[in-house]
Amino acid sequence: MAAPDLLDPKSAAHNSKPRLSFSAIPVVLNTPDDECDTRTTVMRWKTVSAIFFLVVLYLIIGATVFKALEQPHESSQKLAILAEKLDFLAMHSCVNSSELEDLVKQVVSAVRAGVNPSGNSSNQTSLWDLSSSFFFAGTVITTIGFGNISPHTEGGRIFCIIYALLGIPLFGFLLAGVGDQLGTIFGKGIAKVEKMIVKWQVSQTKIRVISTLLFILFGCLILVALPAVIFKHIEGWSTLESIYFVVITLTTIGFGDFVAGEKGGTEGLESLDFYKPVVWFWILVGLAYFAAVLSMIGDWFRVISKKTKEEVGEFRAHAAEWTANVSAEFKETRRRLSVDIYDKFQRAASMKRKLSSELGVNASMNQEMTPGKRTLSANLCENRDSYPNLTLSLSPVSGALTRNGSLYLNGLSPDYADRREIAIIENLK
Amino acid sequence: MHSAGRSWLLLTGFVLFYVIYLLFGALVFSSIERPVEDKLRHDMETLKQEFLNLSCVNPASLERFLVQVLAANKYGVSVLRNSTATSNWDLASSMFFANTLVTTVGYGHTTPLSDTGKAFSIVYALLGVPFTMLVLTACVQRLMYPLVLAPVGLLQRSGMEPRSATAVHFLLLLLLVVLCFLLAPAAIFSLLEVSWSFLDGVYFCFISLCTIGLGDFVPGTQPGQQYRPLYQVSVMVYLFVGLMMMFLLLHTFHKMADLHGLTTFLQLPHCEETDEDREPIVDNKLEEESSYPSDKAASKPLEPGSQPSYNTINKG
Repeated sequence: MAAPDLLDPKSAAHNSKPRLSFSAIPVVLNTPDDECDTRTTVMRWKTVSAIFFLVVLYLIIGATVFKALEQPHESSQKLAILAEKLDFLAMHSCVNSSELEDLVKQVVSAVRAGVNPSGNSSNQTSLWDLSSSFFFAGTVITTIGFGNISPHTEGGRIFCIIYALLGIPLFGFLLAGVGDQLGTIFGKGIAKVEKMIVKWQVSQTKIRVISTLLFILFGCLILVALPAVIFKHIEGWSTLESIYFVVITLTTIGFGDFVAGEKGGTEGLESLDFYKPVVWFWILVGLAYFAAVLSMIGDWFRVISKKTKEEVGEFRAHAAEWTANVSAEFKETRRRLSVDIYDKFQRAASMKRKLSSELGVNASMNQEMTPGKRTLSANLCENRDSYPNLTLSLSPVSGALTRNGSLYLNGLSPDYADRREIAIIENLK
Repeated sequence: MHSAGRSWLLLTGFVLFYVIYLLFGALVFSSIERPVEDKLRHDMETLKQEFLNLSCVNPASLERFLVQVLAANKYGVSVLRNSTATSNWDLASSMFFANTLVTTVGYGHTTPLSDTGKAFSIVYALLGVPFTMLVLTACVQRLMYPLVLAPVGLLQRSGMEPRSATAVHFLLLLLLVVLCFLLAPAAIFSLLEVSWSFLDGVYFCFISLCTIGLGDFVPGTQPGQQYRPLYQVSVMVYLFVGLMMMFLLLHTFHKMADLHGLTTFLQLPHCEETDEDREPIVDNKLEEESSYPSDKAASKPLEPGSQPSYNTINKG
């Protein structure tokens, strides 16, 4: 930073052009990064707790709505089944209540174990034949966990734990890989489309938005609507129930009240043999699609927030640089101006000395100073035009030069305007 | 092209390995469970026969009765004597249900009966699941510093090499999580629930924390449960915090794998690097600069899927 010697007016006077900036790198006052970080750290806590409270609120709202919707239904169901029980007991008087309770308890726990006591056992398929076990293993690893089948032996449960411990990360890798491939394919398609559309001068954000919407629509069509129709046809569910099953499965919630392929036994086994693996494959692709959509939305938010942060940071940096430049220019001008003033005063002083020595008359200061002052004021007025930032007011009466009150040059006697005063002027910032 | 071919190869390898893994699991489950199932089926038959022999009921009406009871039971409505008082849809239970919906655990012990309820669950889940994931990820990011970065730094300053420091720390964290979130709650559950053994408790905790949620064990559904709302709310809190810890574990493991070069080797997406996250897991910035390419996107635990190439499309 080779700043010219400010205290040496002669050398400074040679540098007539004001320099825009004293340093090569833009001057940044306080690094915006630090500010951003501390600010984002503080905001992040706030954001997190805000989102947390939002989630709790969301849960409470959901709870009230579910209660309002479901409780009446539940009570009517309860009444109906109690009436059934009483009817049954009344009809068959040899059965007493406790025996019936016993039977019901055992039946219910058997059903929980997957054994359906209704019907006779000859033509019932097992819940643990190979294809169903395969399906169960799939539901465990994808963390859907329907629960219509679950292990009941101790050995089965321990094995389930170990199996899940190893299988879930494995499935995670698989999902990452499939999602990657999907995303790459999609990204390449987007790039091609963007290349085509960019000729039409449409903004890239619009393209991205449109393409994402198309992706979501297309994926929904293939992976949600189509399977729902297929399930409705094969399983005999209503439309709502099919969509409900698809959504509950693909978000890995997996209640298990509706499970594809549960209606076994009576259907032809051939159709069921490839049905379950196809369902499993659909789950895999559907999960990858959901994960891809979610991460794409997340990417968007990250890009937008990063861009905003960058832009804000850039803007701040620009503003800081502009301010620094302006103040540097300002200082330079002030310095140049004070040098000018000093020069002019020197000239005026020498002129005055000449005049006084020639005339030998002790002329009054004010009158003698008037031509000098006038030239001075003329010069300074010129300067005032070219440096609008400087507000110089020349008051001929008091003979003082004031600029914003901070620069006070006593114009009465040029003898005062010596180097020390110039130095003082320089130091006054 | 070589790397693209390699990634396809890896993908097919993964798929194949996954299929084999599933088959293996199917075989083992089948061989363990099937005999037990057969026995239970047989027992049921004898029970039914006994009942029919003792009483004047004919098989058809019993069948009809049982079918109705089972249909009601599927929705959590029990016909047993002492279950008339508690509802499955009072406020605390509904909140528990909403929580299982939103964390994707999904036990299924109670499911919406009405059509409106089902439609509402669809919308609720579609909005709530990403929301919850966002909260959990944000919390995990906040927790990373005190629970991961600070201890690793501490270990390093006490003279350990960076890689072994991360490995040791990860093992310690794993041990801590297993102790506090698996074994201790399992013991508590086995005390509070009448019919659960300790193994059942461990099984339940594990299945819930992995969000599998089979639903064969659900706390607080016994008819004679005292302080049921409080119990269910505390189970909810436990599930949420436990899930957060699992995410943290996975995130730590992912970063560790990054460090040890596993993710590069398997061509998986690297750990996300946000502005706050820029601090690597080890203090040694010099040698670890290369392993954090900043243009790779995140791999979310349990739902990973990222398209690094998407980020490289020039942003408008």
